[in-house]
Amino acid sequence: MSTPTPDPRALFEEQAIPFLDQLYGAALRMTRNPSDAQDLVQETFVKAYAAFGQFEQGTNLKAWLYRILTNTYINLYRKKQRDPYQGSTSDMEDWQLGTAESVTASLSSRSAEAEAIDHLPDSDVKEALQSIPEDFRLAVYLADVEGFSYQEIADIMKTPVGTVMSRLHRGRRLLRGLLTDYARERGLEATAAPARGSKK
Amino acid sequence: MTNDCGCDKARAELEEYLRNEICRTDAADIRAHLETCEGCQSELHVGIVLTQTVQRACKETAPEELRDQLLARLRTLQSH
Repeated sequence: MSTPTPDPRALFEEQAIPFLDQLYGAALRMTRNPSDAQDLVQETFVKAYAAFGQFEQGTNLKAWLYRILTNTYINLYRKKQRDPYQGSTSDMEDWQLGTAESVTASLSSRSAEAEAIDHLPDSDVKEALQSIPEDFRLAVYLADVEGFSYQEIADIMKTPVGTVMSRLHRGRRLLRGLLTDYARERGLEATAAPARGSKK
Repeated sequence: MTNDCGCDKARAELEEYLRNEICRTDAADIRAHLETCEGCQSELHVGIVLTQTVQRACKETAPEELRDQLLARLRTLQSH
């Protein structure tokens, strides 16, 4: 007589619930409002629970949960939105994205920029993230907040690694430009006046 | 033996360098360059600050009600 295999779902609560805060944070960045974020997280956990038998113990549970979160988000919410820009970011040309890269910036202006960004309130940073195209936002979030590797992000977003890299580069560049603008508006004087030689 | 890779390559791959997404040889070449180039060092510094700022701003705690609802729902599912 063999003992019955224990239901793997018994482990679910113990293993998956510790990721609740992180998944909620990601859901907030996706849906951009707390009520939708809560629904999305609930849906994600219910689906993950149902599929937990297929999760291979010992592999990366966090990445597995993020795959389900992203899928659920795309199926539930992206369809509802009729925003033509969502998901069509690859059509944007580099010139439309602007350039935050300060190739000619002086050393002192760059260290001032870093300091200004560092002093921005969280609300500004979130607003900047909200305003960049969704694919870029998600890639930046997954890489820089969650620390997923490019390959893991490619699996989560179902795109080639090259696309992930391009979304990251463009997203970071947009973000940096926005944050530098906000800092300037707040008088945090991010970049020293443009070096156009207007010495008075 | 490492070779200073020069500004162009360093700038192009700084993000990958930051995220540990390039091979060891390339990383060593970029590191060698950074040691001597203040311009690229300051660019790297902006990159590090940007990452830390985003991380800090995105820290969230799930509302208690969500946690409670979710646990209740999972337990209902378990009992079926």
